Amino acid sequence: MSTRRALDVSGLPPYYISNQSPLFLGQVLLCLIEGSVLSILIATYFYLRLGVDAWPPPGVRLPEPALPTIALIPLLASCIGSYMASEAAKRGDRRKMLLGMSLNLLLALVFLGIRAYDWGSFTFRWDSDAHGSIVWAMLFLHSYDVVADLMMTAVLIVIVASGRYGEKQRIGVHVDSVIWYFLVGIWLPLYAVIYWGPHFVGVSR
Amino acid sequence: MNPVLTERPIDHSQDLAQEEELAKTWHNLRGLSGWLSVTTHQQIGMRYIVTAFVFLLLGGFEALLMRLQLATPNNTLLGPGGYNRTFTMHGTTMMFLFAVPMMEGMGIYMVPLMIGTRNVAFPRLNAFGYWMFLGGGLLLYGGALTNTIPDAGWFAYPPLSGPQFSSGKGVDVWAQMITFTEISAMCVAVELIVTILRMRAPGMSLNRMPLFCWSMLVQSFMVIFAMPAVMIASTVFLLNDRTIGTHFVNPAEGGDPILYQHVFWFFGHPEVYIIFLPALGMVSSIVETHCRRGVFGYPAMVLSLVGNAFIAFGLWVHHMFATGLPQIGEAYFTAASMMIAITSGIQIFCWLATMWSGRIHLTAAMHFVLGFIFIFVLGGMTGVMLASIPLDLQVHDTFFVVAHFHYVLIGGALFPLFGGFHHWFPKFTGRKINEKPGKISFWILFAGFNLTFFPMHLAGLNGMPRRVYTYSPEMGWGLTNLLATAGAVLIATGGVVFIANAIQSRKFGAVADSNPWEGGTLEWATSSPPAQWNFTNLPVIKDRYPLWTERENPGIVTGMRNDRREVLVTSTLDAYPHHRLVLPGSSIWPLITAVGVSIGLAGSVAAFSWYYVATVLGAIGLIGWFWPREPLEIEP
Amino acid sequence: MRRLALAAFAAPALLAQQSALDPAGPDAGAIRALLVFFVVLLGALFLLVVAMTIIPLVRRHRGIDQEPLERTHRPSANTELRLKAVTGVATVATIVILFGLVVLSVSVGKATSSALDRTNSMVVEVTGNQWWWHVQYANDDASRIAVTANEMHIPVGRSVMIRATSNDVIHSFWAPNLQGKRDLFPKHITTEWFQADRPGRFRGQCAEFCGLQHAHMALWVVAEPPAKFESWLAHQLEPSAAPSGDDQKHGQEVFLNNACAMCHTIAGTGAAGQVGPDLTHFGSRLTLAAGTLPNSKGNLAGWIADPQSVKPGNHMATVPIKPEDMQPLIDYLESLR
Repeated sequence: MSTRRALDVSGLPPYYISNQSPLFLGQVLLCLIEGSVLSILIATYFYLRLGVDAWPPPGVRLPEPALPTIALIPLLASCIGSYMASEAAKRGDRRKMLLGMSLNLLLALVFLGIRAYDWGSFTFRWDSDAHGSIVWAMLFLHSYDVVADLMMTAVLIVIVASGRYGEKQRIGVHVDSVIWYFLVGIWLPLYAVIYWGPHFVGVSR
Repeated sequence: MNPVLTERPIDHSQDLAQEEELAKTWHNLRGLSGWLSVTTHQQIGMRYIVTAFVFLLLGGFEALLMRLQLATPNNTLLGPGGYNRTFTMHGTTMMFLFAVPMMEGMGIYMVPLMIGTRNVAFPRLNAFGYWMFLGGGLLLYGGALTNTIPDAGWFAYPPLSGPQFSSGKGVDVWAQMITFTEISAMCVAVELIVTILRMRAPGMSLNRMPLFCWSMLVQSFMVIFAMPAVMIASTVFLLNDRTIGTHFVNPAEGGDPILYQHVFWFFGHPEVYIIFLPALGMVSSIVETHCRRGVFGYPAMVLSLVGNAFIAFGLWVHHMFATGLPQIGEAYFTAASMMIAITSGIQIFCWLATMWSGRIHLTAAMHFVLGFIFIFVLGGMTGVMLASIPLDLQVHDTFFVVAHFHYVLIGGALFPLFGGFHHWFPKFTGRKINEKPGKISFWILFAGFNLTFFPMHLAGLNGMPRRVYTYSPEMGWGLTNLLATAGAVLIATGGVVFIANAIQSRKFGAVADSNPWEGGTLEWATSSPPAQWNFTNLPVIKDRYPLWTERENPGIVTGMRNDRREVLVTSTLDAYPHHRLVLPGSSIWPLITAVGVSIGLAGSVAAFSWYYVATVLGAIGLIGWFWPREPLEIEP
Repeated sequence: MRRLALAAFAAPALLAQQSALDPAGPDAGAIRALLVFFVVLLGALFLLVVAMTIIPLVRRHRGIDQEPLERTHRPSANTELRLKAVTGVATVATIVILFGLVVLSVSVGKATSSALDRTNSMVVEVTGNQWWWHVQYANDDASRIAVTANEMHIPVGRSVMIRATSNDVIHSFWAPNLQGKRDLFPKHITTEWFQADRPGRFRGQCAEFCGLQHAHMALWVVAEPPAKFESWLAHQLEPSAAPSGDDQKHGQEVFLNNACAMCHTIAGTGAAGQVGPDLTHFGSRLTLAAGTLPNSKGNLAGWIADPQSVKPGNHMATVPIKPEDMQPLIDYLESLR
């Protein structure tokens, strides 16, 4: 035969900045991975608690919820910046991208600042006892992820500010927001477990 | 906007021009720096396969040492320390450095071919994953060169593996090596999921996708949910308890060794299915090709794969029946552990049905499939026995269990893998593998395997525990151990025959065309070996077996740009074309990033602050990786 | 039949003394019965699968019923229907059989943990150490707690409860002729019940990898008629035998003047060390070094002279004993019956 069936895709765009982008799915999977890690740590918190009579161990003061509760405000507000940036990335609005990412970065740094200050008031370290170990593990891993994501945001700010960027970088800005929403979202159960958990699972049995 | 299939006149000169352009675009740079910056999936897949095979040989060597030591009572080939290090290295090498990476490698190589695309979704991530795997292997065996060898077993239970009872850095190296292989596995999992779900050829709806791709998809999800647990158990819990004084699994001050077991086996049980599922996919590929019909019961096969994955997450306590957990809870795990035999069983029934109604060609690959059925089913039967708590409490931690898991792992994963090697050899190398020595190697391996491991069931029932470096003659275990060692020598011989055959066939075998077996799936539409770009024209699919039904008039994709590495992104369920995606070419940055992260992780074995080194060096690598490059604008 | 299986793979000397296939009590007996049932049933099913694998090969060889597939690669609808029926039946049968096995296992599991008269159990506290077993007979009266090591005597016909823990790493107590195994954890107590229905000597071995000498951490469970057991227990409560004769007296002095007393206890002397096994009635034990060697003068001399050559890596110090002191020391220790 002299003809064959052909599907002409030349009319399709060579990139797509939305949740249909493969990079988006990849990022969601990374969030699933990190979510699994932090979920196991939450489970571990309760497992360790159930293994002893007194929680936290004698002589250890529970972490106070006041400061971290206040810190939730800049944290949640920072999502506005993420959203602004990711929507602007779709449209190619450079000013709004920069504004959104900067807002996100700034508020996130405020959050981290409050967190760092809060840590100074802890009466326990990771090597004090099981309670200290699991609380610090959760806080360290979450903080590490946050700092890593903020470093990425900072680099993106530099790139977008330089003007030397294209569609691939815009996809990056758009997808960066997924990680941030995830890190904010996963902090809520962690926060509840660390700061409110002991009040509900009882200080002693 | 949706593209539509139209009839076009065939123009061979256009095809040729297209090939030339593709060759230029997909050309990999020459020389060492070119080799180090490769991002094409065939090369990276083959690197995984070859490297994992080297680790198979190393692990096999360790096994031979163990068998030689145990061949006779009160033997002095290895002392207790030497034996403990050897069995630890054997298990660790086989589980982390051979089995999972090998399956990953087969997936990375075959999946883009089978789904009709040119590369994986994130080519540089692919390269990075391989370098991390290699780094982990080098860390573990580099430690061997400096006598820093773990000796607490491949699952390293604390308190024995803790700071008080395991001095030195061997266990630390073990724990951190797991981070490497786990990062690698996660990279491949993300890679395969996105590639399979978003880059299938137009028309390849999920129910037209080869079963091997289904098995890699399901397995990748399992990796995502299971691997974090081993990172936590080994690095967050054990390594930190050892190096910075945390109290997770250390009984002093509230830690719990049973916590370690729970979290480790939450990974550990799915791990064996992570190894097993791709092998099941390979069996399907082999059976359908060499029995000349599609596997019977495709929907049941898919549901069984998915069911296997789900149930596998609910079994882990069956490794802990002797720890004295409450009986009611344990009974649930008995039920789940037996129920998983259903999903495995359904697949066996479907393959048998395929064989009964197909035209069987008894190739070497089919031999290995038949061997798989025999050995794996036997292993599955002892698995059902182990699921029963009273039985398990007698045979747990004895050579009965050693026999069981070798039956299911070697039978369930290694035999299908060797079948896959023989089946896809022409595709990998462009030459046919010599069938006769292939079948001979099968029989030697089959006989050797059963001779080694069947007597172990009896040794276990007669009281021989695991992980003993020697035993006295009055125990009566001498004969079974001697037979097992003889079998091990046979296995080694079979391996040698296989390797010799592979080398010989690669050099002197008959040249293979693109489809020597007359298979039905897309990998057989490419040349042997495939071009760097896989398909000159990306295919359009109407059927599960495109090469069996569309030989005369295959549909093709036109309108892609061939002057850059472009692939087609399609919708998740039905594979409607959605947009085109420009993939990066060669890049040295994955290697640089991997080296930086590896240095940091290796250093963390000594001190926690090296994690920060890993972060900084990794960040530098990632910045180079993602720094904007020309062309900035992506033209249509 | 069982003897045949055992004889095929076990030397006569220790036939069935550490074997799940030669039960000496109701728990091991129930487990073995369950094992036989599983092996027969699952073995038959395995052979069925093998047959179903070989038959199509035979049919192919004989050219039976080979549908022409070369064009379509798809058998007739009739064939597919029949295959569906057969695989459907096989699947349902598999589900039913497995469900039955679950029920059977759970009920045998319950039986082997609560069928015995647990209320009248004798409690023995077992503590695992690297690489020996501390054994202690619980009693409300503190003066009636008998202590020994690496050997446990139990009365025939009475249920025994092990309360087990570890001083260091995870170990596992396993005497297969009597019961399945139970792990030993530090700072944690696990329990298990078993019973011997006939007298005999049953060997047990640690079944959880615990370090360098995991392979040499065994113990003997000696089941005796109740009266004999009571007299054994009463004797264990007595202090050590006084040395008789100059030779043994000298041997006791050697023991007390060397490092031995820092690790070992001999009740009735000044030796009160808690690090190593209690030696008060050492002479009456079957083995030394946790089942590694038969208890004889020659073996004891070799052990004391160089423990590392018998169990490399074990924690017993190599105490230098002058040659002229060795024989008296051995004589004294073996006199501690």
